[in-house]
Amino acid sequence: MKFNWVIGGEAGFGIMSTGITFAKIVSRSGYHLLDYVEYPSLIRGGHNAYKVTIDSTPVHALKEAIDVLVCLNKATFDLHKQELTKDSVVVYDNEEFEIETGFIEVRVPFKKILREEQGQSIMKNTIALGASIAVVGGDLQILTDLIESQFKKKGEKVVDYNKLFIKKGYDSVVQNYKELCRSIIAPHPEPEEQLVMTGNDAFALGAVIGDCKFYCAYPMTPSSSVLTTLASWQQKAQMTVRHAEDEIAVINSAIGASHGGVRASVGTSGGGFALMVEAISLAGITETPIVVFLSQRPGPATGMPTWTEQGDLLFAVHAGHGEFPKIVLTPGDVDEMIRLTAEAFDLADIYQTPVIVMSDMFLSESHSTIPHANVNRLFASSKLNRGKTVSNPTDRPYLRYKVTDDGISERLIPGAKGHFYQANSYEHGEDGHTSETAEDRKAQVEKRNRKQKTYLTNHFKMPTVYGDLNSASAILVCCGSIKGVCLEVMNERKDTAVIHFTHVYPMDQKRLKVLFGSSNKHILVEQNSTSQLGSLLRQQTGIDIEKSILRYDGRPMAASEIIDQLC
Amino acid sequence: MLTKKRKFSGHTPTWCPGCGDWAIGGAIKEALANQDLDPSSVGVVFGIGCSGNMNDFLNAYAYHALHGRAIPTAVGLKLANHSMPTLVIAGDGDTYGEGGNHFFHACRGNHDLTIIVHDNGVYGLTTGQVAPTALKGTVSKSTPTGIIERSVSPLAFAISQGATFVAQSFAGDIPHMKEMIELGMRHKGLSLVNVLQPCVTFNRVNTYQYYLKKGYRLEAGYDPTSYSGALVKAIEMDEEKFPLGVIYQTKSTPYHEQVPAYQQGKPLAQIPRVSTLHDLIEEFR
Repeated sequence: MKFNWVIGGEAGFGIMSTGITFAKIVSRSGYHLLDYVEYPSLIRGGHNAYKVTIDSTPVHALKEAIDVLVCLNKATFDLHKQELTKDSVVVYDNEEFEIETGFIEVRVPFKKILREEQGQSIMKNTIALGASIAVVGGDLQILTDLIESQFKKKGEKVVDYNKLFIKKGYDSVVQNYKELCRSIIAPHPEPEEQLVMTGNDAFALGAVIGDCKFYCAYPMTPSSSVLTTLASWQQKAQMTVRHAEDEIAVINSAIGASHGGVRASVGTSGGGFALMVEAISLAGITETPIVVFLSQRPGPATGMPTWTEQGDLLFAVHAGHGEFPKIVLTPGDVDEMIRLTAEAFDLADIYQTPVIVMSDMFLSESHSTIPHANVNRLFASSKLNRGKTVSNPTDRPYLRYKVTDDGISERLIPGAKGHFYQANSYEHGEDGHTSETAEDRKAQVEKRNRKQKTYLTNHFKMPTVYGDLNSASAILVCCGSIKGVCLEVMNERKDTAVIHFTHVYPMDQKRLKVLFGSSNKHILVEQNSTSQLGSLLRQQTGIDIEKSILRYDGRPMAASEIIDQLC
Repeated sequence: MLTKKRKFSGHTPTWCPGCGDWAIGGAIKEALANQDLDPSSVGVVFGIGCSGNMNDFLNAYAYHALHGRAIPTAVGLKLANHSMPTLVIAGDGDTYGEGGNHFFHACRGNHDLTIIVHDNGVYGLTTGQVAPTALKGTVSKSTPTGIIERSVSPLAFAISQGATFVAQSFAGDIPHMKEMIELGMRHKGLSLVNVLQPCVTFNRVNTYQYYLKKGYRLEAGYDPTSYSGALVKAIEMDEEKFPLGVIYQTKSTPYHEQVPAYQQGKPLAQIPRVSTLHDLIEEFR
């Protein structure tokens, strides 16, 4: 029953908040959703479109054809008419503009209602929400409950004012188009309690679950909402969130805080990450835990700030001069983002090295539903494994960089009486003092490198396999947010299977070679132009996949384009 | 006193004979010992350069950071554990050149750090290129026809951008350095101690003799609480006159006391994880 509702209008007129409100109604009615916002890097004047794909089962990928298109301006119709079918409903105001024929028209007198009720133009969204609920058979009560909690701080007057315009929009449709109203989101009698969140929200929540106490960032699309969300949680989560002067300060202060004993994290996109790279290397040699959230957008340089890509995979994997271990994770959806973020803080502490959690604009900014119970379960089961972090050392004298079999030394939180040490960005001996002897150099390089082996044995997770690899005629290989669209392909083409990497770097060559075998059915599906996951697989394991399906125009991958290329 | 001071002594320094860093290192240890601190109770973040090499010669909970980034590293360390006095020991190139942006914003934030800058006018560890503190026209390996830029005015810059304690001292005067560092550490908020430090190997201009001639102790009755008076004093450096002493001091709440977590009454590193997600989850329903 996959169903698509889309609203479009001029940027700066509340399209985003209308979209998220609609998404929450869908969730509270007991349905699943995935949404997507298309917007240029402008605050006012461009075109915004908000798409919500609804289903009774979890939504892995956006539906392409539009079922209901709400046009707050003419441009919305013009830009989206290609996605309409003869069964599509177009909601618009014929007093404002005319549309081409061939679709089901629902005329809502936005202008007239605003005139009669003396509403500001921003209230057009609110009328549209009411009208939308009527068209898809939603429960008006759920919407008014949401409006009440959203506006209660602003007082009863504002709540009533909003309710009035909702009612006007709703009634207008019910009175004039009763026969067109469908029951797409008729409330489920006992809906499972769900949360509606983006990948960025999920990272923020995962960070709190992982006991991140210090988050530092400089705003950069599409990672910025992690900063604003965590900043708004500072009191409740008892953490310190700092908007620093630049990304270099961001990561160095997080490393300083981590040295001081708190779990620390930073968030950015490609350009900001580029500025952080020297400090990634610093964390490598000083063996300071740090979690980096890297949400990709199309580059190079400023690129396309508000669009999506997976073009920084190899950059992340290779970030930092010199040789040191690093862990890169690529969660595929909101649920995995929460889990892997919490896990990232454990891994950073256990291996005392940088851990990069990757996202992209599509995962970072699209909302989807997740059962509330999943989050509670994860929080209850998360034990916070700090590895060999200690507040009092076992050995006297304490050796910060003691050479060990697993490569990991005790990390003493500064402040313990009777001890002191330095974390050193220069090469050093076991006690942390600078050393340039060949013996110390070799011993420390090898010690750090051993941490990678330990990780591969103890914490590396093989990619998740969906479907049956033996019977599949095509196996889609992917990492990160591409998982969703690949699962969608699997739903439609039962002869496909999916291999999805979450623990993308470093890779366990032996085990992966067994998994991939000698089959030539593998196809890389990536949101970049050079098949970076393919290169990484070759480099790390020798597995060479020839076929790839790539998209790099900034738009999220569609299931149909993958199916078309499957032959 | 001597034993207390000795506790801070690490490896034997590798500085050139006669380098001002020897005296600065000694003054820092004396200032720490005089406050009854020991190596377990002090946090120090070092920059990269001859001054930063003190990391091996001074015992403390230390972090030898990246060039230019000692200040942000120290900002994070202080926010994680505000109970620990935190020093930044770095050079003029590190602080006013590579890390200029961080210095600027640390002043604005009034972070409770004591920043001790070894101001020697050159990049010693890379064998003698000009620093941003070098006088206009200074000839060096990287500026064979003389540096085109004028020198930075670190004291005036710090005062105008929000530093709440700004002092200047001279590497030829250990008691004075010790006093300035100690006053800086006792001050709540960002304290800068700019130490004029002859580099005997690479700087033929700013010698001990030069500073003995051009430096002078602030006159009795000088009022360091006057913002405009301090700025007038601070820009004397542009005319090669070097006031020594506390140039500026004012009271203002440091950064770490203004973050919400400070209300918990203990360092961030000791605050446990939240016990419920209930309050955070509500906005996603």
